[in-house]
Amino acid sequence: MESKFKVNTEGKWYDNVDLAWRMNEYDEFAVEQAVQVKDQVGEADVTVLSIGIDKVKETMKKALAMGCDRGVHVNDDASYAKDPFEIASIIAAFARDKGFDLIFTGMQSQDRGSAQVGVLVAEMLGLPSVSTIVDFAFDNGQITAKRELEGGLRAIIKTQAPALLTCQLGLNTPRYPTLPNIMKAKKKELLTLEVATLLQDGARQETVKMYVPEKKGGGLVLEGDVGAIADQLVQILKEKTGVLA
Amino acid sequence: MAEKIYKGGEFLVAEVTCDEVFTPEEFTDEQKQIAETTEQFVENEILPHLDAIEAQNFDLVVEGMRKCGDLGLLMIDTPEEYGGLELDKATSMLVGEKIAPAGSFSVAYAAHTGLGTLPLVYYGTEPQKQQYLPKLVSGEWVAAYCLTEPDSGSDAMNARATATLSEDGQHYLLNGTKQFITNGGFAKLFIIFAKIDKEHFSAFLVEKDFAGLVVGAEEKKMGIKGSSTTQIILDNCKVPVENLLGDIGKGHKIAFNVLNVGRFKLAACVTGAAKAALLVGVKYANERKQFGQPISQFGAIQEKVADLTADLFASESLVYRLAGLLDTKLATIDKGIDNYYVEYQKGIEEYAAECAISKVFCSDVLARVVDEVVQIHGGYGFVSEYPAERFYRDERINRIFEGTNEINRLLIPGIILRKSMKGELPLQAEAMKAFESLMTPSFEELDDTLAFAAEKALLQNLKTLFLILAGTAVQKHMTALANEQEILLAAADIAIQIFAIESAVLRAEKACRSASEKKKQWLEAAVKVFAFNATEIAGTAAKKGAFYVEEGDPLLMILSGVRRFAKYDATGLLQAKRLLAHAVCEEEKYLF
Repeated sequence: MESKFKVNTEGKWYDNVDLAWRMNEYDEFAVEQAVQVKDQVGEADVTVLSIGIDKVKETMKKALAMGCDRGVHVNDDASYAKDPFEIASIIAAFARDKGFDLIFTGMQSQDRGSAQVGVLVAEMLGLPSVSTIVDFAFDNGQITAKRELEGGLRAIIKTQAPALLTCQLGLNTPRYPTLPNIMKAKKKELLTLEVATLLQDGARQETVKMYVPEKKGGGLVLEGDVGAIADQLVQILKEKTGVLA
Repeated sequence: MAEKIYKGGEFLVAEVTCDEVFTPEEFTDEQKQIAETTEQFVENEILPHLDAIEAQNFDLVVEGMRKCGDLGLLMIDTPEEYGGLELDKATSMLVGEKIAPAGSFSVAYAAHTGLGTLPLVYYGTEPQKQQYLPKLVSGEWVAAYCLTEPDSGSDAMNARATATLSEDGQHYLLNGTKQFITNGGFAKLFIIFAKIDKEHFSAFLVEKDFAGLVVGAEEKKMGIKGSSTTQIILDNCKVPVENLLGDIGKGHKIAFNVLNVGRFKLAACVTGAAKAALLVGVKYANERKQFGQPISQFGAIQEKVADLTADLFASESLVYRLAGLLDTKLATIDKGIDNYYVEYQKGIEEYAAECAISKVFCSDVLARVVDEVVQIHGGYGFVSEYPAERFYRDERINRIFEGTNEINRLLIPGIILRKSMKGELPLQAEAMKAFESLMTPSFEELDDTLAFAAEKALLQNLKTLFLILAGTAVQKHMTALANEQEILLAAADIAIQIFAIESAVLRAEKACRSASEKKKQWLEAAVKVFAFNATEIAGTAAKKGAFYVEEGDPLLMILSGVRRFAKYDATGLLQAKRLLAHAVCEEEKYLF
């Protein structure tokens, strides 16, 4: 897999020529959860937002086909170069006056993997946030979420909408869009906003360099008769290390 | 999409440009999503149960069909008023391609959505459609198409099954035996062909529960073991008169027209199966080490991978070019007119030769792929623990059903010559020109500044060669040519390769405009490898045809034409093969 990713000429991101684009897996859990809440409460309006080049609209259409009602594409040719703070501030700037009851984000992106954006958006909007949820229940504004902690522990968190939740693997199984819904999604609103209209804050971090880690030598498994292996081992230790010196 | 509407068979005399062909690079976002949903469905809902399905646990097939219904995968060809989506042929073929890796399940799917459902869509009365289509679209009922009989396969019109009107005029009583009925074991609706009064070949909609319909035992088959194949025995089967499908005596129209659709759908399915099989072969070649290195690093294996990849590129290009031809044509028909489906049928029939070509070419590609995938696996390809063995067995039927490849190859020149006689194609005039060019030496030089100049010149030459051979054959045998099957088969083989090369070249040319440098190299390599292989096949067919049809000086003349026109400069062939093979093995996916 790694061999297919090449660092770009700038040395700060990967080269995305000829790569297939897919929805970030954790975002897919977020879309699914939002649609499930809509299915549960009946009357709801789900907006899906994505920042990036024109091509992300293709992926957004999948979210619309899964059941989101409308899409907002923030057009940005350089989204990959933005730090989590900038990305969060763009989302927050859009969401600020919209009065969303619930915001679901992926726990992290599969490329940069900072896991910061969701919680930063919550902070910027002054909302409570629950990160890495693996279970979610909604009852009349009351949220009960299960979080995944280190060491296999789980925590149950209760909070009140409006709130932001970041979604972890295990939360749900994203549906695959049905053909009728794919065709219906074609007619749903997909608004494009220029990133300049939303970006008000500068970066807090800079990616200095991106590189493929150096290959470390692989292990060596000795096979065969125990006696012979022992001899082989001693030989290797003598030749390649100072252990027996 | 193409603006000019090409006639069926016109590719043999026209110079088609790449802007006029539809290519997979032009799929809409919706088509891509539908493909993704199909892929996920197969991966999550079918592949985990494949062993059980192969063991003929048909409940899983029926359940899978329901799930297809839930996802809308059975809606594609049915109009909206009966619960369908009526999407274009490109989508229909794309789904066929993506469902194909589901092995036997995909056979049930294809039989249901194609031959099982389409007769009703095209020929059903309003009440018949209202009654049955929603059930078929939801997957509540599975359908089956019953044409073949123990003594009439390719010779379908010679059917023995009969239908007799009951004394009270309320029912037809059907008698006879239908053979090799796909989905026979669990279908709830059967499209059955029988002769009314032993004379008028007609179609009937027969429910499983109608008295007198008996499902025979499951056939023990070489492959696609997880599909149901049974006899359907009609023992005074009582069919209400309102279940007559289409007009009395017009059953042949239904039987053959849906076969055109069945053929191009099969072409799409086998292309998908071949992609899946090749991938398994490539992954194995990367894992399997001999002489201290993965066998994928050996030229012997790489050559196979490269040849198959090039074949697949042609197969895919051909399938969607045909989809584009059909969709462009069908889009010109006003949906509001009363005889919409009559015109629609004509639209599809226009490309009957191309449908036959797609079926033959793509199923032959699959045959080569599965054969070499077994070979790549060595001894492990021969044991059933590895999927290569199943691919190999499952492939074989594709060259038999939906019209054997021989029947389809015979159809191709037959259709084209008929069009020529009717004045729809200027074959005669073009053949005259071809003969003239045979007499005059050529000083033409390639314009290297044009994209794929060598391949385009090759195509012109192969078309000339086809015209020379077909022209000679017509002159020699006149109307008796229909009896000269060996000659017709040779002519078909040239036409098939021409359509395949042209599809690959035009697609590559179009795709190159927006492709990355790396991809451009892959495209050029695929075209080179395929053009070389296909030219050899066409050249052999032409030579064979020449010997069949002529002797003496005229023979020598044609043979010199074969040498001149079936010629392709494949300089860099080895490098092209290695480039393709390296890329496929590194990416472990189909490249295009």
